[in-house]
Amino acid sequence: MACNSSVTHVQLSTMGKAERTTVHLMPCEIEHNGSAQVSQYFTSTIKDRKQEKTVSFRGRGLRGAELSCPQGYTGLVLKEVNPNGSDQEDRTVKVSSTFDKLTYWNLETPPNSDDMVVMAMDWPELAEAIHGAVED
Amino acid sequence: MATKKKRTHNSQNSSWVAITAESAIDTHKDGEPAFVTLRRPTTDAASLYLFSSGDVQLYEVKAFNEDCHSWFIGQTVQRDGRLLYITPMDPLYLMLPYLVKAANEGKFQPLDQVVMDEEFPACSRLLSCTRSLSSVHHIAEEKEVGSRKFHRYSQEKTMQWLSKKVERTVTALKRSNISVGEGVKSRTYVRVKTESDTNDEDYLRYAHGLVSEYINEDLSNVLLKHLQLPEVLSPKETEPPSKKRKLSEKPVEAGEDFSKFNSADFARKPPKKMTAAQRTLAKVDKSGMKTMSAFFSPKVKAERK
Amino acid sequence: MDLGDFEADNSVSCRLTSEIPDICTSEDCCLGIDEAGRGPVLGPMVYGICFCPVSRKEQLKDLKVADSKTLTEAERENLFQNISDAKDFVGWALQILSPNTISTSMLQRSKYNLNALSHDAAIGLVQYALDSGVQLKEVFVDTVGPAEKYEEKLSQCFPGLEVTVRPKADSLFPIVSAASICAKVARDHAVKGWSFTEDLGEVDTDYGSGYPGDPKTKAWLLKYQDPVFGYPQFVRFSWSTAKNLMDSKGSAVYWDDDEEDGEKAAARQNNTSMLSFCNRSTGSTAHGAAHQSHRFFTERRLQGLGAL
Repeated sequence: MACNSSVTHVQLSTMGKAERTTVHLMPCEIEHNGSAQVSQYFTSTIKDRKQEKTVSFRGRGLRGAELSCPQGYTGLVLKEVNPNGSDQEDRTVKVSSTFDKLTYWNLETPPNSDDMVVMAMDWPELAEAIHGAVED
Repeated sequence: MATKKKRTHNSQNSSWVAITAESAIDTHKDGEPAFVTLRRPTTDAASLYLFSSGDVQLYEVKAFNEDCHSWFIGQTVQRDGRLLYITPMDPLYLMLPYLVKAANEGKFQPLDQVVMDEEFPACSRLLSCTRSLSSVHHIAEEKEVGSRKFHRYSQEKTMQWLSKKVERTVTALKRSNISVGEGVKSRTYVRVKTESDTNDEDYLRYAHGLVSEYINEDLSNVLLKHLQLPEVLSPKETEPPSKKRKLSEKPVEAGEDFSKFNSADFARKPPKKMTAAQRTLAKVDKSGMKTMSAFFSPKVKAERK
Repeated sequence: MDLGDFEADNSVSCRLTSEIPDICTSEDCCLGIDEAGRGPVLGPMVYGICFCPVSRKEQLKDLKVADSKTLTEAERENLFQNISDAKDFVGWALQILSPNTISTSMLQRSKYNLNALSHDAAIGLVQYALDSGVQLKEVFVDTVGPAEKYEEKLSQCFPGLEVTVRPKADSLFPIVSAASICAKVARDHAVKGWSFTEDLGEVDTDYGSGYPGDPKTKAWLLKYQDPVFGYPQFVRFSWSTAKNLMDSKGSAVYWDDDEEDGEKAAARQNNTSMLSFCNRSTGSTAHGAAHQSHRFFTERRLQGLGAL
């Protein structure tokens, strides 16, 4: 139950130093956390086709599209500052990079508005409706 | 394949991708935003929220989570493929259960004595949110004695407030073309049809369902009645699998009672008063839609009077 | 041979063609089909057709085309030159299947095997010849697979044609030898001049024969292996050589259409039960299980979080 009182602070001062980055949402789970030659092996092989982008990963064909963050929203990559700290202490995350659009990839199927990640982008606007202040 | 892969649990997560309301990370304010856990009204379980700098605003954290996903972030791989959404949250939803609970004592109390929780110490920070104090009158009666304010939960006020929430949500649903009719799954293929075939009850019920994500089951049921929506078989049952019925069919739950009354009945006994949400609906273009009254089952009418 | 069209995008399949000789649209023609580069783990596979009037079959022999396998690369170049020089009565067309096409087809959700892939390439080329007005009568095909089935398939596709499928057809029928030379020359050029779309700097081109058994090829594969991405698109990921090297040295990757064996399914179940345990343990349990999220959220795979 200790976790209910734990607080994770966001070091906002790191926003200034955070670089714009490119993010790709991949349709597979890669059992790895850490550096990879993304630009060398992946980004450089992306093709812009008529209605979509295409690329392959591990020999599998991917088809993708870009998705912008909704108005008034920004993309953040948060990183824990001291991931191996004790349970008792408050945790801290920093803003390691930012983005305003992401590229999501489907396994073999062409991107369209029914894709889950596209549908999920409905949420912020609806959240504003559910949570915005009501008039007196 | 010769070697069998064994998928392990991803336990050491130390990085997250989040789409965040810009107001949550306003660098012009003093202090730092903080993720905290608070009691979620629907489940009473711990849920993750974020306070902006100085606890001025509250935000909710949700995760888009599809199986088998990972991120490429710059020149790195992040195995955890979740996409977090950090969206503004009305602090009243989280204060409400505490006020309801205190209402049992029947007296006016200072908020700081009501909104407290040993299990979730961060909950008293809710009172620092600008909106908490400026809008608590939506859910509670207020008394001022000297310089101190005292509050007592009011279900009547709360219902009015929640109805307005539903009303706003209906408007947003219509604006963003979210398909609320059952059986309508694909935007790409069926969108043209959804507009005219989806009726107002569908919108109202859908919006009620969304607002019910933030209130407990009892309040959700009271709200349902307040909105004059016929109760479904099991109140907590989210809509039945979409394939069960076609878009054009009448809602199952209302269908049973349909034969029992005719329009003449209604002419004599119209619903007494429209809720705020219904008034909004009354304003929108209803060509091709059924009238609201067509959905009030006699059962609910009986309960109202 | 100009591979410019293929080199412009070597991640996809590409068709290269000669001019159609006028005589081929007015006289009955024969057509040969052969392939090059089926076995290697590197580079494209090329399907080739060559066609000429039946009446000029004998003249083909004068071009000295023979089974391309018995020829050196330089000899094949010369013979391709001869074929090109005979453009008044010999035409050709090639389908280059990029290694990326081969990988992504063979590893596709609905598996598309190499035989089907090559048969479809052959059928596409014959159709191309017909569409171009070539008066086809006889078709000769070299095959490595079972000849009868292939012959049946082709005869069904092209009922008006007399189809002969034979193992070693490239040494039996000069028109097949000619097709074989065109395909081989294209494959040689494609491999030699491969431009890596990956940003790998100067790439060592000493890849040997490209056959999995060749130590040079294997050394090259190891050198350019990346633990996350595997290999450049020059490599056929669907070859067991490449797969096995990845399984042993690369990061594990899971797709939603992975075949689940018992062990894996169990591991996955463990995960879900672990997850539900975590959810429950993050708060008081009593009401936690009862609440079901609204379909707006479930349909969008959105869920609340218990902790960061």
